[in-house]
Amino acid sequence: MKHTQLLTSLRYALFGVLAVTTSQVHAESIAITNATVYTVAEQGILSQATVVIDDGKITAVYSQGKAPESLSVDTVIDAKGRILTPGFIASGNLLGLVEVNAVSATRDSSDKKADLTFDASLAFNPKSTLIPYARKGGITSNLVMPHGGEKVFTGQSFTVNLSGEFDSIIAPKNAVIVSLGSNSKGSRALKLQTLSNQLEDAQKSLTKLEKAKSKKKSKGKEEKEAKTPSRSELVMYALLSGEKPLLAYADRATDILALLKLKQQYKLDLILVGASDAVLVSDEIAKANVTVMMSAIDNLPGSFDSLHNSLDNIAKLATAGVKIIISNSGESHNINQLRFDAGVAIANGLEATSALAAITANVADSFKLNSGRIAVGKNADLVLWSSDPFEISTKVDAMWINGNAMSLKSRQDALRDRYTTKSNMPRGYTK
Amino acid sequence: MLKKSLPHTLFMSNSPNKFTHKKSAFTLLATSMLSLGLTACLPNEKQDAKVVINKNPYPSTYQAMPAQSTLLTNATILTGTGERFDDADILLVNGKVSQVGNDLSADNANVIDMSGKWITPGIIDVHSHLGVYPNPQVESHSDGNEMTSPNTSEVWSEHSVWPQDPAFEAARAGGITSLQILPGSANLFGGRGVTLRNVPSVTMQGMKFADAPYGLKMACGENPKRVYGSRKVLPSTRMGNVAGYRSAWLAATEYKRAWDKYDSDYSAGKNPEAPKRDLELDTLMGVLDGEILIHNHCYKAEEMAVMIDLGKEFNYQSGTFHHAIEAYKIADLLAANGNCAAMWPDWWGFKMEAFDMVEENTAIVDAVKNSCAVVHSDSSTTIQRLNQEAAKVMYRANENGFALKEEDAIKWITANAAKSLGINDEVGSLEAGKKADVVVWNTNPFSVYAQAEQVFIDGAKVYDRLDDKYQAKSDFLLGQKLNNNLVSPTNKTAIK
Repeated sequence: MKHTQLLTSLRYALFGVLAVTTSQVHAESIAITNATVYTVAEQGILSQATVVIDDGKITAVYSQGKAPESLSVDTVIDAKGRILTPGFIASGNLLGLVEVNAVSATRDSSDKKADLTFDASLAFNPKSTLIPYARKGGITSNLVMPHGGEKVFTGQSFTVNLSGEFDSIIAPKNAVIVSLGSNSKGSRALKLQTLSNQLEDAQKSLTKLEKAKSKKKSKGKEEKEAKTPSRSELVMYALLSGEKPLLAYADRATDILALLKLKQQYKLDLILVGASDAVLVSDEIAKANVTVMMSAIDNLPGSFDSLHNSLDNIAKLATAGVKIIISNSGESHNINQLRFDAGVAIANGLEATSALAAITANVADSFKLNSGRIAVGKNADLVLWSSDPFEISTKVDAMWINGNAMSLKSRQDALRDRYTTKSNMPRGYTK
Repeated sequence: MLKKSLPHTLFMSNSPNKFTHKKSAFTLLATSMLSLGLTACLPNEKQDAKVVINKNPYPSTYQAMPAQSTLLTNATILTGTGERFDDADILLVNGKVSQVGNDLSADNANVIDMSGKWITPGIIDVHSHLGVYPNPQVESHSDGNEMTSPNTSEVWSEHSVWPQDPAFEAARAGGITSLQILPGSANLFGGRGVTLRNVPSVTMQGMKFADAPYGLKMACGENPKRVYGSRKVLPSTRMGNVAGYRSAWLAATEYKRAWDKYDSDYSAGKNPEAPKRDLELDTLMGVLDGEILIHNHCYKAEEMAVMIDLGKEFNYQSGTFHHAIEAYKIADLLAANGNCAAMWPDWWGFKMEAFDMVEENTAIVDAVKNSCAVVHSDSSTTIQRLNQEAAKVMYRANENGFALKEEDAIKWITANAAKSLGINDEVGSLEAGKKADVVVWNTNPFSVYAQAEQVFIDGAKVYDRLDDKYQAKSDFLLGQKLNNNLVSPTNKTAIK
């Protein structure tokens, strides 16, 4: 038994988690020693390194031989040279908003009435069976992107961790989602026009508001109260200040270019989603410093907007200097495949370090998450892998979210065990 | 002329009697077609020309691409029979596998050193909608499901295949050499499936696997009852589904009886009136005759068990269960009845009937003696990496008590898939005499980094990752990827 020491430590760690009910409680201090640490930070890849976590945060990252002789921690885990990475961050899915797609009563991701104020985080279910299964893919946090409504602005995204606890939501309403591109009815032009007009209107009303405020300051109280902005207006203002990112679904190059123009005009924090034909305008995207969130495995011309889909698009965009987020878009139940998608991107020319950043640091940067890197002060969202994280033969050996060791068992394991355990009784008695 | 379009195994079936009876009838039919005058004349009654059902009206025109004898050397070879050869060679002659072993030599063969590479049989996907639900996914090409009646046994997926679907090329780059194109699952009986060779072709017939039996797509569970229930047409429940199957098989049994009687009366020298042809019942009779294989979209354990009994009730083999999410719950039953189960490694949760997924499903089914576990795609995306789909099962199973090796897991996407399609006498393994459908991988095909480097069909190279000459492109994509619309400087002289 190679990993006895680790398992024992983990058992203690798990006991600790079970003994309390929420992750708010002070997590124990742990030192993970002798690890190959992929920091996705300045330190790069460290071998035989030590990572110390305390109270849910990373408190030290020691390169080989730099760790003090004795570490005053509750638990020491010998990684035996295995790879430690930041927990992966999935994106572009409905995690916690759907249990069974075809059972409408379990779907909370869309509503005809939803508009840009739509806050689907209120419906997030941390007890969803999808979450423990997703953890088996090394995913510790996630950007949920609800389908929202039918307008150009469909709603807002939110971030969660995968602890399965009731306090999983990291940031509600953290970005506004718009959906552009081809339509089975009507014209894509109207969508772009609507987006452009609404930004213009918001800019005008914001300017007016600011003028009114400054007037108010100079003239004192006698001036009439300025009109209080509506909830929608407040969201639009947040977009204009770049406080909230704009997640824009667009595939065809013309739509992408139109978005880049709007970004420049209104100083938007733009993130392109889908972006099948982004390779046609990769230099423009790189120059605009816009991050692209895309699938690594969609390589077919699914529509006339995506005639240039290819497995090597991510590598091409990365070479052009575009920051990439790899997302298994359209998927919620199998987001644990994210690491394999990243592996496919590597097989098709992406540097392994870029692939890792595309499912950790790049997502964290875009959505202001205090994770995605192994560095002092970051959340202790960590994964210890049996080997190369992207390989199919590799599994998660241990995972921590906010410093708490997480269970790697899911409902699927319970079902498998029931049907592979020998028993003289009907299966229903095997639990 | 009637083509003998069935694999040997089906004809040699030793039970029940109807098979042998039909076989002699079949032979008689063929003879009578060739020489109507000779069999017709009996003393007491003048016979009309015999009515014969043409069972192969859209015959294959597939021609193997030009091939030369090829010796691939020094590779790790998984044969698809459960064997693995290290540092071994494989010789392809006249489109067939000639030999697999160490230190082979051959005169006049093109010798290619494959050191460090892995070689497997061509990958076979038993469940695909390429060509019938092609890319781009436009309404004009959405031809995969005749959702106008719960029983559309009369439709044949081959009549919907668009050979220019760019996904055929993408699948070839993933090592897919044969694939079954099935109708969708909205109907209790969705129609006939067709097995294709994955070669570029202008016509469907040019891809058609010449000797493959037809499949009949059936569907259990949620889809038919949802589609027709919402139209207030039977079925709206699972019991309605089963009533629908049974009514259809009853009608098919009558139809077959009528044709059998016509055949035997005619053989006895009478001049019977031929039964009225019915396209729907032709297909169902083909199943009862053992000529068409059942491919049944059926997720759940209790439904598969009912479908097995349904087959027994009407005396046909219940075939392959596709998307068999719960096959692991009845692995023994499936093996005992000779059913194949075609499974995804991990898709789940999109419907209630897909809720009980376990990643080891294929391995659990495979572990039973006489089982037939298949990994399928049903996807234009994952069909490109069916090797990795099988890998996921193997590794997850090995983490949980199994001891599967590459030579075992490769069977799920080669030999067992061929068995499911009734083409295992011809493809699915690298044995002498089999069609030389071969994939050369850059590394262990169960790696996430694995890519098919070269693909051979009938001994001819149909794909080479490193040689553009062997990378076919569909008509649809031709001329689409122009970087600009300006004439390149070198061609400007051509403008006058």
